[in-house]
Order: sequence, then structure tokens, then C-alpha cells
Amino acid sequence: MNQISHEALTALSGAYAAGWQARLELEFAVSHQRSTLVRRAHQGPLVIQKSLHPEGPDLCHGIIVHPPGGVAGGDQLTLQATLGSQSQALLTTPGAGKWYRSGGRRASQALQFHLADQAQLEWLPQENILFDGADVHFEADIHLTGQAVFAGWDIQCFGRQARGEQWQHGGVRQRFTIRRDGRSIWQERGHWHPESLVMRSPVGLHQALVHGSFVVAAGSLPKDILADCQALTVTSAARVGVTALPEIVVARYLGNSAPEARHYFETLWQCLRPWYGAREAVRPRIWNT
Amino acid sequence: MPDKALALSRLLQLASPMLPVGAYSYSQGLEWAIECGDVTDKASAEAWIGAVLTMYQGQFELPLLHRLMRAWAARDQSAVSEWDAFYQAGRDTAEAHAESRQMGYSLVRLLSEFDSLPADWLTQLQAMPHPAFITVYAGIAEQWQISPEQALHAYAWSWLENQASAAMKTVPLGQVAGQKIMLELGGRLPALVTSAMALADDDISNFCPGLSIAGCRHETQYTRLFRS
Repeated sequence: MNQISHEALTALSGAYAAGWQARLELEFAVSHQRSTLVRRAHQGPLVIQKSLHPEGPDLCHGIIVHPPGGVAGGDQLTLQATLGSQSQALLTTPGAGKWYRSGGRRASQALQFHLADQAQLEWLPQENILFDGADVHFEADIHLTGQAVFAGWDIQCFGRQARGEQWQHGGVRQRFTIRRDGRSIWQERGHWHPESLVMRSPVGLHQALVHGSFVVAAGSLPKDILADCQALTVTSAARVGVTALPEIVVARYLGNSAPEARHYFETLWQCLRPWYGAREAVRPRIWNT
Repeated sequence: MPDKALALSRLLQLASPMLPVGAYSYSQGLEWAIECGDVTDKASAEAWIGAVLTMYQGQFELPLLHRLMRAWAARDQSAVSEWDAFYQAGRDTAEAHAESRQMGYSLVRLLSEFDSLPADWLTQLQAMPHPAFITVYAGIAEQWQISPEQALHAYAWSWLENQASAAMKTVPLGQVAGQKIMLELGGRLPALVTSAMALADDDISNFCPGLSIAGCRHETQYTRLFRS
């Protein structure tokens, strides 16, 4: 019943008040032994602020900025990145993503990444904070070719903890898929709202305020590195875990602190990056500001 | 016309814990839930198993079993392979992934011993590199003319029985507690199967982060009876 009235409301309000459509398309390629941003196109408020090479010419860092600072109901953000053969990019954001009360209009974020053979993309954004009332659709479609490598994390906070706000209204629908040469090798799909069993059951989110996942698609992880990752712990009562599937490494955080989730994933990144990227993990400076 | 009485006999054979696929050796994270204190007694065991039944079996395994049966029924090998890949991409821990492949392998090996199955169908099945258990189960259920509704019901029942048995061995719980869990959660199966059969592709969900972490942590659990 709730579902029906909500859908009807979304359709109605969408008819007279569409949100902001923001779309950013990026293309990276190797030219003169340098990974370079060779094309960018944007519509609406989603831009790449800088492209830098702090770790040397073969890896291009990009900072993705959404100037309005927060995403309102009905807004649709699309980030598309295409990486040419052997190009390497690291994309991050300057601050937490804020998802405002939707007022009956679902907001969405779609990530569409296409990686050619031996390309490497790291998608390491800061956390997404869902304000009370946020109704959000997160979608990520990652297409890998040949020996391409993807590493990405996603941290979601339910409610603004600093204000003691709980996420009591709204909903999340998410679909995250990784394909290699057209074949699905990883997917996570779910939909829930604050009253769902998923939110409270220990099988689901266990009433945690913060959930994070970190996924690396770079083939089979050597056992000694897996053991190093498994040995990493957190000091709070948060739950963490890591596993190595034949083609994917996944780590999860379920707890109450976004900084702790970030710290856990950054520590894992230090273990994993020398393996998948043949370089040490160096924190982008934007994370310190 | 399918012979309904014969289909029932085949269904019971498929649902029996005697089916030699090694299901009894997997707890699917329940052993870690007991270790970490989430499951300590009959009530918490029933809550854990019931949540996995609703959130994971009902929204992921059963809808996929239904789609796989339809693909087998249509003799559409590429759809079988696609849904098999879809399923395996959603098995999100090493143990869960290995479990579905091991049980799939064991079931293919068993079926290869049955002379009554069509040779071309067996050849097709054996040509799949690492089919998941659910994919092979869908195939044989369809071959044996079991209705999708009954196959989904039996699949969930076997899963439930195995979980209750794991809880009885590990919590531990007595026979009566185990039977009460089966009675309560078994009573939910008709509605669960109906909603699983009506679920849209977009609503298929495998999002159970607590279950996934339990699976991860089980890999390094010090004392283990089970392989997952």
C-alpha cells in the first residue's frame, strides 16, 4: 500500500517539478606514456575540478565536484568514465555526499564505468550521508575488458549523526554490477526503507548507522595478502569482514562511524594496492582538507 | 501429461537430506552467528534463520530457481548460463561461492549415473564449466516434471531443514526446539514461494550485509564443524 501511494506521488510530483539533471562524462587515455583526461563533457552541476598527477605520469587523479553541495529530491546525477587501454585514473570527491529529504521525489546517482584492457580505475569517494527523508537510487555499472582492474568503495550513513538525526523516512534502492568481457562477475542489489527487516536484523544492517563495502576486481588474491587483510580489525564493536572470491575481493564494514569505516578501508587499500596496482597507497591530499 | 504421483516421488528424492551433495556440511554463516553471540537459543536461531529465509531465500534464491527452471523448460541454454552467472555473481563470500559450485558438481556427478535421463540433456549439463547447485537443481526438477511451485517449496524446505539441523548441532538445541523452528518457519513457505514467483527482475535482492560478514568471518573462525 505504501509502495503504491509512494510511486503515485513520485509520478505526480515528477510531472511538474523535475529535479536537476547532472551528467559528467570523462575519458582517459594514454598519450606519450601519460594517463590523461582527453575528453570531458558535462551538463548541469557535476564537474571535474582538477586532474592531477601526484603519483607520476601513469596515473591521473580527478576530483569530482557537485557544486550545489547536496542532492535534493528528483535530482539525477550520472558519472560516466571511459578508460582507454592501459590508462589509469583515481577519482575521489572533496567531501561527503549529502542526500537531502526527497519530498516524494527519488534522487539518483548512476555510475557508468567502461575500462579497456589493462586500464585501472579507483573510485574512492567520501561517504554518502542520507538525511532523514532521503529516498535514493544508487546504481553502478562497471564494464571491464580483458585485464582491466577496478577498485571502489562506498560508505553510506543513515541519518546525520552529528545532529542526532535518524533516518526514519525514505528509502534506498541500489544495484551494483561488475562485468568482465560482458559476463556478470559481481553484483549487489537491494531495496529497503527505515522500517525494513534489512535495517534491524543481524542478517541485514543490524541497526548500524554506517555501512560500507570495498570491492576490488583484479583476479585472484594471493593467500598471504588475504591473511594480512583478514588480520585487520577495528577497535569499536563494529563488524568487519573480508573475503576473496575467484575474481573479486570484498570487504565490508557495519558499525556507527564513517571515519572508522574510512580508516578500515584505507588500511585495506594499503594492503591491496601494491597487489592490484603495483604501487603503494598514498592518501590523496584532498582527503586532509 | 506429467505423471503427478511420479513427480511427487522425484520431488521427495530431491528434497531428501540423503541426496549426496554434502548440504549437511554447510551452515552458511550460522556457525559464526552462534560463535559471535547473535544466535544463542531457540528464539534467536529462529529469528536468524527466518530473516535469511525472508531476505535471501525469498528474494534471491527462489526467484532465480524459478527463472532457471523456465530457462531449462524453454531449452534455452544461453538463458540458463546467464541466470547461472547472475546467481554466482551474487554469492558474495568465498565459502558461499565454493559451496554452490561443490554441490552443483556433486549433483551433476550423481545425475550422470542415472540411465533414465536424456543423453543430450546430460551432455548439455556436463558441458557447463562450474554450474551452481541451484542451476543443476532447476534442470533436474524440470526434467522430472516437478512444478516450479513445488520445486521452490522443496528447495526452501531442504535449506530450512539443513539450517535447523546446523542450529541443533551447534547452539545446541534439542529435537523439540528443532521441530518447533521447522513448524514455525515451514508455515511461512507457501506465502514465500508465492511472492518469490511474482517478484519482478528489478526486485531481486541479495543485500544481506550481516550475513555476508558472518560468511567472511567464518573463514577464519578457530573451531569449525561446517565448511561455511
